Amino acid sequence: MQEPLDALEKHMQQLQQAMRQAQMQRDQALLSHLRAELRRAQRSYDALFDADGQAPGTEEPAATHPGPRAAKMPAREQVHQVLTLLTVPAAPKLISQVHEALFAGSLPTSRLATLRRDEERSYRSSPGARPYYLCPALTSDHLSPARALLTISVWPLEERIVGPLSARVHYLTSALKFTEAVQRLTPDPETMPLGARQLVHHYALNIPGALPADHHPQNPATAPDLALLREAAQQELAVHTDDDTHDRRDAAQRARQQLDEAGRLFGAPFQTARHLRSVT
Amino acid sequence: MSSLSSRLGTLRGPVEPKPHNARSLAALTANPGCRRRAILDAAGVDKEALAVHLGHPLPPTQSPRALSRGAQFEAQVKDQGGAELLSLLRDKLHLPLPEAAHTDLSVLGTSDRAMNVRHARTRSLILEAAHGKGASRTMLDHPVLELTVAGRPVFLEPDLVAFQSEGIFHVVEIKSFAVVDGQAPGDKAAGAVLQGAAYIIALQDLLTRAGFSPERVSTTLLLITPRDFSRRPMASTIDARHQIKSLRRQLDRLERIEDLLGQLPAGITFDLAYDGPDARTRTATRDRDDLTKALNTTEARYRANCRHHCQLAHFCRAQAHEGQLIDVLGSSASEDLGGIDTIAAALGLADGSRAPAPDQEDLATALRHAESIRNELFGGAA
Repeated sequence: MQEPLDALEKHMQQLQQAMRQAQMQRDQALLSHLRAELRRAQRSYDALFDADGQAPGTEEPAATHPGPRAAKMPAREQVHQVLTLLTVPAAPKLISQVHEALFAGSLPTSRLATLRRDEERSYRSSPGARPYYLCPALTSDHLSPARALLTISVWPLEERIVGPLSARVHYLTSALKFTEAVQRLTPDPETMPLGARQLVHHYALNIPGALPADHHPQNPATAPDLALLREAAQQELAVHTDDDTHDRRDAAQRARQQLDEAGRLFGAPFQTARHLRSVT
Repeated sequence: MSSLSSRLGTLRGPVEPKPHNARSLAALTANPGCRRRAILDAAGVDKEALAVHLGHPLPPTQSPRALSRGAQFEAQVKDQGGAELLSLLRDKLHLPLPEAAHTDLSVLGTSDRAMNVRHARTRSLILEAAHGKGASRTMLDHPVLELTVAGRPVFLEPDLVAFQSEGIFHVVEIKSFAVVDGQAPGDKAAGAVLQGAAYIIALQDLLTRAGFSPERVSTTLLLITPRDFSRRPMASTIDARHQIKSLRRQLDRLERIEDLLGQLPAGITFDLAYDGPDARTRTATRDRDDLTKALNTTEARYRANCRHHCQLAHFCRAQAHEGQLIDVLGSSASEDLGGIDTIAAALGLADGSRAPAPDQEDLATALRHAESIRNELFGGAA
């Protein structure tokens, strides 16, 4: 298995020498041709190298990926993981931020772009084939898909509906759940990773009473007071919860009467929404 | 009214009128003395196409990067139910803690076709909030308001309308220019306030039509901008009463465009005579000299700052250059030389080759004095 690698190495070396000659002769056309050739050779080399990777000694050091398993998880499972942690509907941007702060590997929002449509297509072709689906949150007004918010199909309908106050309730709840998770993972606030620190800071700035009195706006690097943040979030949450739950329960009742199984998961089509609005 | 709209239709030709937006409405208050623009705007003529056809296009005003930065900042501020925005509103408007509802109207669709639906929904939500009925509404995201301009409805999209428990509506405008050390760039802030004034007027009209007092709309605009050199948002309140008044005056004037139309010769049109209906492939076939003649029947008043708000500015500038009008020297020169129209006349007065009219005596003396200083400095050689 080593011969092709040797041959490639030799070929690449020759290419590199030819490139230096071409550069001395200022032959741009030849140079770019050689460069492309070298790139191709490098790619074949990488492919062969990885295929050989099982052989002892040629293994890539695993230390660069603290959680190689997590990084290779499909995007939908990563989203599921984050949503389960937050317990409330969340937008791809927040999901990506939380994932980056708490879990290994990154989850760019671009990977979530087609997720919703794929899930719906999968459901429509064979309903119930998967243990869970990622669905959009439904607006309480029209029972139509809310913008950008993702939920898990196994959550009760009430928790997949967003009313006017829900955005705030979700914000506060996610602040609570996120800080809990951060505390579990890094009990010492000084060692909190940057992503987590930024998110905590963002929460602390936008929840009244979450910043310590001696907080200095010019110095966000100071370790945030998680206990204070949680207390402030809980206090504001108590103000909104009743109204919000009431709104959502009403909407869920309407949804149960008006929508079929698929509609309750993926929202009423817009035509129905328009009809509903003309009635109300 | 029908004869008026038919006259305006003749001016425009057989094309759809160009819809106004907040930016073009705000521009109405700038340089109100320009009759050319007043007529073109009232008739809904596509001034940009006109300028391109006449060979004086305006360079693109906003770079795509600036636009995307603006969109990014707006998205950041409105993210997660307007979390950042809410802190600012609580700070500036003293919103009580329970008022945190956020309703996003963009779920109804953001395309132009959905404007009608969004407007109807905005209207019913705002009236519900005004009556104090229905679910609580504090922040209305992506609302659509309507304003009647020259007899036609125009849809406006404010960044956000906030409702306060005391029954007052506030218009919130999110802009991405930085306010450094409490100082905003003057022209940008002025533009933002004018746009905000258009939204406030539309909101006032909506409430008045439903039998509410226009007082229920705050005349103070809430401007959200990045603070200093950071991406952290800050809020400033700006009193827009003055702008609202002047914008209302201009809107009324557009309604009373008949007087201006009466002064135009009959049969004048600014039609570009397109050879096809498809906006992407059609070309204008109107004779340029003929079109210029038609435009010259309307009196333009060129100002140096016209390029900020009028697509025809470069055409008017070229004409002003040709006619050696004082206006091309900038506003301070034209103010100093009030009463004199052309550069040639001013020079004539300065070197004494032209006898001043009775009301130009003072000016002529000043000009001659300036000329003598110049002669002393340059020895008359220059």
